Amino acid sequence: MDEKFDCIIVGAGVAGLAAAMTLARNNMKFLLIEKGEFPGSKNVSGGVLWGNDLAKLVPDYWEEDAGWERFINHRRLTFMDDQSTFSVDFKSSHFNDPPYTGVVVLRSKFDRWLAEKVQEAIDASDYAMDSFIAPNVLVEEVLQKDGKTVGIKAGGDEFYSDSVILAEGVNNLLTRQVGLQDTYVPADHMLTGVKEVIRFDQKVLEDRFQLNGLSGMSNEFVGYATNGVEGGGFLYTNRDTISIGLVLGLKDLREKEQTPYDILNEFKKHPVIADTIRGGEVVEYSAHIVSSGDKRVMPEKLYKPGLVVCGEAANLLLNAGKAIQGMDYAMRSGILAAEAITKAKEKVDFGEEAMKSYQTALEDSYIMKDINNFQDAVHLLHDPVMTQKMPNLICDFGRNFFSIKNEPTPKSRNMLRGAIKRHASYWELIKLGAKSAKAL
Amino acid sequence: MKLLSLPERLGLVSYRNQAKSEIKPHILVDTDICNSTCPHKCTTYVCPANCYTKDENGKVHFQVEDCIECGTCMYACDQGAVTWKFPDPEIGRGVTWNFG
Repeated sequence: MDEKFDCIIVGAGVAGLAAAMTLARNNMKFLLIEKGEFPGSKNVSGGVLWGNDLAKLVPDYWEEDAGWERFINHRRLTFMDDQSTFSVDFKSSHFNDPPYTGVVVLRSKFDRWLAEKVQEAIDASDYAMDSFIAPNVLVEEVLQKDGKTVGIKAGGDEFYSDSVILAEGVNNLLTRQVGLQDTYVPADHMLTGVKEVIRFDQKVLEDRFQLNGLSGMSNEFVGYATNGVEGGGFLYTNRDTISIGLVLGLKDLREKEQTPYDILNEFKKHPVIADTIRGGEVVEYSAHIVSSGDKRVMPEKLYKPGLVVCGEAANLLLNAGKAIQGMDYAMRSGILAAEAITKAKEKVDFGEEAMKSYQTALEDSYIMKDINNFQDAVHLLHDPVMTQKMPNLICDFGRNFFSIKNEPTPKSRNMLRGAIKRHASYWELIKLGAKSAKAL
Repeated sequence: MKLLSLPERLGLVSYRNQAKSEIKPHILVDTDICNSTCPHKCTTYVCPANCYTKDENGKVHFQVEDCIECGTCMYACDQGAVTWKFPDPEIGRGVTWNFG
């Protein structure tokens, strides 16, 4: 192909689609390449898209009954031992009205829908006939000449552009090829996610989870869920299915010689979870690597002349105990990447400094502010005292506190003392408390 | 509810180019490394699709047909035995998620 694009975007996930939408609106000529059959077809997430950036891309998306599954107005954090669950539960009608603060999505459906919106934006741009979304194409190489990015190679053909946005996801082979990430990334700060989508009669689902209309619930789990491996569990309600799964520290999984799908079955067998999912039918099993949000694994530099990296290809993800954020980071970073490329086009300068403005914008955004501020929380959530001893202690206390025995009842503080003694030491708790106070 | 075995779970996955008998593997594994110097053979238990198995003699074998492109083995293998690529859309295998 002889013609040259302003930009080639690799990957039609959330980051790539957000970048494409922004470029289309800015009247840029671009090519969005996706290796799967259609956008979303190879993408897996938990997944809740947090925040409200979606409304920037698709204004009033809530008026359209498509793309997304349910909005979140019910949050639950559950501590688990082998028999019990002890939850912090928050539900509020405050979250009932758009703009929503989080929507549950299934990527095969959501990304495909968002891509249709991008196509509409392309059709409305000056480059309706010259910008494309190209599925079924695998990019083999980023082309560089005299230190500049000049395009990509796919299926033996070369495609030329002034700039490239890498939005290829966590398994970022091209980011490695251009030298922004090490060729081998060790397991230390990566997690393996496994998930099942379980279908119910919609009425049963709505009654069981107390859903009203399109309201939904997100539930995270710490403790027994992961069978001693660092990590956690999740459960999100979709229209007539739930997404239930685990994220497991890969290094810990390797050291403890455990198997992800066996742990998932143990989780599903837990008496409380078994009651929650009774009568459902598994309709999909999936797995994907996810980064931990630990800065030690992130590529330090996210740009080169004519090239920027966004989304999880840049390992933009954070679980600081409040929510697992990744797709919202992908969306915002994709928008910021496209804005930097648009500016570069205006100034006809795609050099190092022009691309650096993307990373500067990222540093100034909530994404890097939160990632930097909550590094201690990331470490804390991978501390075995937090992931194993605390949940056992809390459930032990709960079991005593809620037992009514027709005999003299000890004071709660004595129950708590007993629970601490059985599962941890005061010293561990003091350290944990001090760390938490600092981290959160 | 009934718990599913891994083969039952993988039976729910839509793979690409399933009708083609000859596919180009997207992952190459140097099992000589697995079977000589590797101290843990971890891919045989961490792979979410059980693409890596041990036979009765403890030897590691790899098959790409069930691979769901998660990436786990690329990070888990610290011995340099795994060369990981994405499957070719025309002549590779890999997944198309129905839900994702």
